Amino acid sequence: MGIARVWMRISVGLVLFGLLTGTPVLRAGGPMEGIRETTGRILQILSDPSLEGKEHRAERRRRIREAVDERFDWEAIARSALSTQWRNLKPAEKDEFTRLFSSLVERTYMDRLEAYSGEDVVYLDEETFDTRAKVRVKIVTRKNQEIPVEYRLRRGNGEWRVYDILIEGVSLVKNYRVQFNDILAKSSYAELVERLKAKVQQES
Amino acid sequence: MRKFDLELSVGLFILAGILCLGYLSVRLAKMEVLGGQGYELHALFTNVGGLKEGATVVIAGVDVGRVQSITLENYRAEVVLSIQEDLELQEDAIASIKTKGLIGEKYIQITPGGAEEIIPPGGKIWETEPAVDLEQLISQFAFGKI
Repeated sequence: MGIARVWMRISVGLVLFGLLTGTPVLRAGGPMEGIRETTGRILQILSDPSLEGKEHRAERRRRIREAVDERFDWEAIARSALSTQWRNLKPAEKDEFTRLFSSLVERTYMDRLEAYSGEDVVYLDEETFDTRAKVRVKIVTRKNQEIPVEYRLRRGNGEWRVYDILIEGVSLVKNYRVQFNDILAKSSYAELVERLKAKVQQES
Repeated sequence: MRKFDLELSVGLFILAGILCLGYLSVRLAKMEVLGGQGYELHALFTNVGGLKEGATVVIAGVDVGRVQSITLENYRAEVVLSIQEDLELQEDAIASIKTKGLIGEKYIQITPGGAEEIIPPGGKIWETEPAVDLEQLISQFAFGKI
């Protein structure tokens, strides 16, 4: 009797221990957890009073960029956006293109990110297939508009990293892929790089 | 004897006509009588927006395959595509549902990717873009700015 109760206490204890520690540890590596963490970090930076205002703009952007870089697989995004032309590039050119492309995306979205004014982020669901995952989120604006966002992630080196984002069902990668293909069809890769450089310079 | 010849030739003529008609309708509808060439690929869409079986699959506007079947799978549309044999698709190729013109029929557009890996026959196109809901966009445009 006594022993049975002791055993029961131990097993209940183990189950509780498992619930309190084991599960969160397992979940922390999931794709949705990753998105949640990065979003949380960015929102924290945006709402940090010590980083507010124009004079802190550079520092604020640097920190946001850092948080995003950890979660985004820029090379995969750049490769996918440049599509068929990618394999013709030399390694140094690939690096340069990835850097330029990520700056372009950053410039495009940073202003919108900084216009953040208390929109709600609702985490809907995640779907995992082997090394791929989709995380669905919706952003609820203060006017109660819902914007569906879907993150596509891949696991590499034990980490889930974003390689595409669909906003309202429209893919970011596809958007750039079509534009790049248009430019490449009419002119050259060098011209595309020039245009990207000009765009990045102009908006900074 | 001569009457028999006449009937026979009319019969043969009609028969030839029917065969021609059959051949024409198969060719025009691009039905595949003997299995057809090409390999199968699967793709999951959240919304196919009225895509029909037999709809075309295009790359850069060029016909490269057909929609073989569309079934509901866990409230999502599972589309099986038949792609022409010699065509290789990178694993980051994107399949999008598009509309011919503003209110025309739906088709699937594939934009090739930049990855090294090729999707094997029977494999899956992971990157899909659902049909854009025009009404939804219009309503957002119309009612968005409250």
